[in-house]
Amino acid sequence: MEEGKKKIFPVHYAPGKKLFHIVVTLSDAPGSYSSILDLVRTKVNLIGTSTYTRSDGTAMFSGFSEALSRALTAKGLERLIMSSKAAISATVYEGKDGLLVDTFHTGFVVGDEEYILMRRDGLVHVFDRVSKMLGSGGDALLFEEGTAMGLRNAEMMIKNVGVKRVRAQTGTLNRFLAAQGWGEIEAKAGPGKDGFSVKIDDCFECSTDGSSRGGCNFMRGYLAGGARATFGKDYESIETKCRLKGAGACEFVLTPS
Amino acid sequence: MRVWGLLSVVAFQIALLVLRGTIPAVLLALPAASIALVVEKGDFESIASELNRKGVKASAPAAILGKSGVKHEFAFALIPDSGKARIVVDTELSVKEVDEMKVLKFYVKVFDVGPDKAVLCVSPRLGARAATLAKEYGITVLENDVPRKLIPMAEKVVKEFVGTGAN
Repeated sequence: MEEGKKKIFPVHYAPGKKLFHIVVTLSDAPGSYSSILDLVRTKVNLIGTSTYTRSDGTAMFSGFSEALSRALTAKGLERLIMSSKAAISATVYEGKDGLLVDTFHTGFVVGDEEYILMRRDGLVHVFDRVSKMLGSGGDALLFEEGTAMGLRNAEMMIKNVGVKRVRAQTGTLNRFLAAQGWGEIEAKAGPGKDGFSVKIDDCFECSTDGSSRGGCNFMRGYLAGGARATFGKDYESIETKCRLKGAGACEFVLTPS
Repeated sequence: MRVWGLLSVVAFQIALLVLRGTIPAVLLALPAASIALVVEKGDFESIASELNRKGVKASAPAAILGKSGVKHEFAFALIPDSGKARIVVDTELSVKEVDEMKVLKFYVKVFDVGPDKAVLCVSPRLGARAATLAKEYGITVLENDVPRKLIPMAEKVVKEFVGTGAN
């Protein structure tokens, strides 16, 4: 199966459609989720759903949906869902004029860490403006910020899973960044005994056309910071290829400094 | 009005290039409009040449690799054989007061290069907030309404620095 971008639904726009956001608290038992799906599938077309367990032993179902009939109401859907023994509580939010916004959730949590979601393009433009306003100093600033974030993120991961596992499963953990949209990272050993090279396909930092920056200084710093936390020594990080310079992918070389 | 406005912008740009050492001073002897911009006591390039003759390694302009791996350009710098810049000088010219963004722009370069002394030559002068910021960052600021007068002012500061044996 081909890898791709995950679709999530903090907002959905479908002109002329009657839209609902279904939020259900379920018992965290086998079959709960499917019993809710069996009920609502006769009334709505589910566009995007998510489920997750909570620390209190319950589970949550959240789904964006389009009504199959204009006669369907939010209250009617709630009553239908509550007829299932698996449902503990249900709230259905109705969109307006074809626009549905998730008014239930207040952010994202990965592990124990809170995350925010922003447009990739928006962050890249922030980098562009920093570089434009501060010139080469802006590029240095982006490197410093990347280093600090790489260091902290790696330290958090080491705290959670241990340094041995981080060192042994670098390839797997790089997929964690890919899943967040940073780009597909592939690291290889060398040059030298302690150096390594990193290739990033679809690197987020250079994903916008028309950038005046000369390279991916934030990512260059991020890799150096991550390597420092993981291997306990400083690394010199050089970007040898960049999409901003016409290459197909970004490549970095890290060597102990 | 529009023509004069354009000319003043062009003259300003030329002054900027002279101060950065991009245009040799001799070229300015040619166009009449540039005569007023001739640097009386030589530009940064000639200061660097003089210091180099005396065995003090100086560059104008100077491209210096910062700790981040990013290369920064300064109008002038003293860079001994060790490669670590001892003093860096830059210029900021404006028709109005120079704002804090220009100070910040200079500071982030200085932060990355880490010299012993950082000098910002400003014409006509820094705004109040910019001056506060420069003081906070430990930047030596030289101000003058006449851009060309900044060169000898900077030369004096550089030579005093060299004279203290800092190089």
